[in-house]
Amino acid sequence: MSTETKRQAVVAEIPRLRRYAIALMRDRTEADDLVHDVVLRALDKLHLWREGTNMRTWLFTIMHNLHANEMRRRSRMLDVVPLDAAPPRAEAAGQEAAVEWSELSGAMGGLSALHRQVLLLVGLEGMTYAEAAGVLDVPVGTVMSRLSRAREDLRRKIDAGTQTATIRRVK
Amino acid sequence: MSEDRISDSELNALVDGELDPARQAEIEISLAEDPDSARRVARYRSQNAGLHALYDDILHEDIPPKIAAAFETRRSGVPQWAAMAAAIALFVVGAAGGWIVRGEADVEPAQQVAAGPPIDTQELMVRASMAHVVSHEDELHAVSAGSKAEVGDYLADRMGKPVRVPSLDTFGYRLVGSRVLPDTNGPAAQFVFADETGKKVSLYVRGEQADGVDITYALADDLSMFYWNDSGSSYAMVTRVDDEKGREALLTAAKAVYGQLSQ
Repeated sequence: MSTETKRQAVVAEIPRLRRYAIALMRDRTEADDLVHDVVLRALDKLHLWREGTNMRTWLFTIMHNLHANEMRRRSRMLDVVPLDAAPPRAEAAGQEAAVEWSELSGAMGGLSALHRQVLLLVGLEGMTYAEAAGVLDVPVGTVMSRLSRAREDLRRKIDAGTQTATIRRVK
Repeated sequence: MSEDRISDSELNALVDGELDPARQAEIEISLAEDPDSARRVARYRSQNAGLHALYDDILHEDIPPKIAAAFETRRSGVPQWAAMAAAIALFVVGAAGGWIVRGEADVEPAQQVAAGPPIDTQELMVRASMAHVVSHEDELHAVSAGSKAEVGDYLADRMGKPVRVPSLDTFGYRLVGSRVLPDTNGPAAQFVFADETGKKVSLYVRGEQADGVDITYALADDLSMFYWNDSGSSYAMVTRVDDEKGREALLTAAKAVYGQLSQ
């Protein structure tokens, strides 16, 4: 496969990389900065990508590593990132749906980063457990247990949010 | 009952399609007698659906200029536009089963230049579609209200020849900006139009001495375009179209522009 074809394969994944990064980081500017860095890294390391392997999981792995490094760097700097900094826009959805999804968006923001990662990789990106395990560099069993806890945690948070909303309406 | 309860990991695996078909069938049957687990499966599925509802719009956004620029800083000797165009799985719909609108387009056939080489459709579409994808307003020469003439002067100045400025006002699209882009045959011009909702249509014009080509449809990834060649220039009208109606609207607009520019 020519370098050019490989580069094409990288570009084709940009929309998915951005979707994941924005959902994970909840800040568009930071997410696009991350995707930018992923692209640079991938283009530099293109010769290391083995033909016949999955370009998407390779790029997601690069992204996961860069993101993890960045998080480590920040925690050393004690720079706390607000989880709920920028909920995604939902202008395309109807008003009611927007309210419903904002509940989910808020609940996602309350999850730990580890839970959010696994939920997004499997639930949004549609990766298999094995693929997600490869990206996160953890055993498949860890993916499964994190996923199970993440979904329950998300369910509880949404229920709690819905209750609060109901109480607010009743008042 | 609690002994029969389906395990957490199997409930999740069911949602994620990770079970083998035989086990999946068994679990689906036992769900009928385990409403609590069935509710959880439904909740997990709706979480997934909700994530798509929240974030899938991002997939259809233009690639931010900064990210596109990363491909320029890592060019590795590849021609810049070829690298950029990466993005786009390009194909022209073949005459056999496709959407070539030759004849349907109901416009005067472009004059055939007997000795002209064939139009380089690949090059035109790659450049036009990439220019469309990375045409954010802050990169364009903005159009102050109603100053079409000023846009013409701006482009003529940079392209070294008079430039006609098309209008899509009657289609509800306002000219928001234009710019000059480098191209193999010298500077190319791009006009960007937007409707009230911000939906973009762009027109790419590159100098190209070629056999005249009638308005022809092409599809590049999720971008639709109509292109043609006339009097030493090739044109491509580009937009994101998701249905037949949108394609018809783009064709109508392309015909109007063809008419305006070939007067």
